[in-house]
Amino acid sequence: MTAIFVRELRSAFTGMMGWLLTAFLTAASGLYFMANNLGLGLTDFGYYTLYQTTFVLLLYVPVLAMRSLAGERHARTDQLLLTCPVPVWGIVLGKYFAMCAVFALPCLADAGMILALRALGCTDMALASNFASLLGYYLLGCAAIALCEWVSGLTENQIVAAVLGFAALLLAFLMPGLRSLFNAGSAAALLLFTLLAAAAAVLAGLRSRSLMLGCAVFAALAVGLSALFLWRGGWLTAAFDALLEALCLFAPFERFVNGIFSLPAALYYLSAAALFLFFTAQGIEKRRWL
Amino acid sequence: MIEVSHLTRLYGARAAVKDLSFTVEDGQICGLLGPNGAGKSTIMNILTGYLAPSGGMVTVCGHPLPEEAEAAKACVGYLPETPPLYPEMTVEEYLRFAAALKGVRRARRAGEAVRAARRTGLEDVMPRLIRNLSKGYRQRVGIAQALLGSPQLIILDEPTAGLDPAQVIEVRRLIRELGRSHTVILSSHILSEVQAVCTQVLILSQGRLAAGGSLEELTAGGRSLEELFLELTGGGRQAGEGDAT
Repeated sequence: MTAIFVRELRSAFTGMMGWLLTAFLTAASGLYFMANNLGLGLTDFGYYTLYQTTFVLLLYVPVLAMRSLAGERHARTDQLLLTCPVPVWGIVLGKYFAMCAVFALPCLADAGMILALRALGCTDMALASNFASLLGYYLLGCAAIALCEWVSGLTENQIVAAVLGFAALLLAFLMPGLRSLFNAGSAAALLLFTLLAAAAAVLAGLRSRSLMLGCAVFAALAVGLSALFLWRGGWLTAAFDALLEALCLFAPFERFVNGIFSLPAALYYLSAAALFLFFTAQGIEKRRWL
Repeated sequence: MIEVSHLTRLYGARAAVKDLSFTVEDGQICGLLGPNGAGKSTIMNILTGYLAPSGGMVTVCGHPLPEEAEAAKACVGYLPETPPLYPEMTVEEYLRFAAALKGVRRARRAGEAVRAARRTGLEDVMPRLIRNLSKGYRQRVGIAQALLGSPQLIILDEPTAGLDPAQVIEVRRLIRELGRSHTVILSSHILSEVQAVCTQVLILSQGRLAAGGSLEELTAGGRSLEELFLELTGGGRQAGEGDAT
């Protein structure tokens, strides 16, 4: 894992990509910092710079992560990694931590800006809240990186990986607004959960290579869902809402921006990252079987 | 060293390898021979743990795949069909990286990289970027990578592809030398190559084992390997039809 981490990090900065991406993100936050925090004398770095520039991550993260796995497959170097005595999670984590380290660089520049505000006389309270926002911003970025690494593992083409990653992040970005469109009754919620159950059953069947198990999983889930629909329809719609809320990747960051160190938000980002890394590892494993 | 029984590998509905069984003993140089698309690369990818078999049993160095894949991978060095190289690294960086992946201890990595480079004639290009190397040198970097950590089993997929005649002779000499201390499996569709280095030959045709045995056994009765190959892989029939017309 360490070897892969070091190699990825060095390769990001032997080419142009690492420098370019770092410059891009630093320039974006630098611009807002100059205009809002310095120009208007506002000490709230979290809202006026980080929150205002989160949309830049929609471009930064997919480009950063696009080649992580797709590039390896395209160049056939995955044959080296997967035939060496390195566990799959070591490959996935090594690449992930390297990308998180690359993303830490512009965040360090942001930390410099926060310290500059301190030197210009902002209060301790504002300083703490600014750093909390930066932490939230970093966690948000890391979760997005995990998502885009998973997307990169789905394809051999880096451009496709970048576009898919962008689309997924855009959907998550717009989800708070889109949620109002999906005001589901319990019937629509039942349909969605049945589809999810079918997907889970297919996955279980493929993993265990047993049709019986797949059918059994689907039957059990369908019975459960029907029971809920008949006696506890409210739970289904509530679960539907919770599901949509979980897709709003950018929303929990707002709690940090509002000056609160939100442990649930931090846990949300960490678990989202863990979930997508798990998917990534599973995706690599699955490809070797099919 | 290797035991394969009733191995099958499907790509979708198409079977690349069908019900294949063979064993390779310690210390042999075994050649996988077959026309393009006969399943040579698929077999090698399965033996190295890159692909999982769809059915059948595979045991490498006493470790069944895919259950003990990590232990099996630790005793295999593999040169795939396309050498898995990172163009933005220098040869030295790449070999050290590969040594680290293979679990060579940090203190021994540099020495191990230099040793592999010396065996494959790469000392002069160590500080150069892989991007700037010719195809022959890239192939040799791929072979050097497979030698790192002195694995018991070395699997080479078309090791002499893209090399010039002098380098081909050099690589064959290297393979014979490796055969003294390692088990080597190589694939090729060049008959003279197999004849020159291998002690054991497996002839594949459309994912099935058409013939297997030592070179002497296969060419017993005065038949050349070429005649046997054409006969078993279907090329002979076409040649025969050509003669008749």
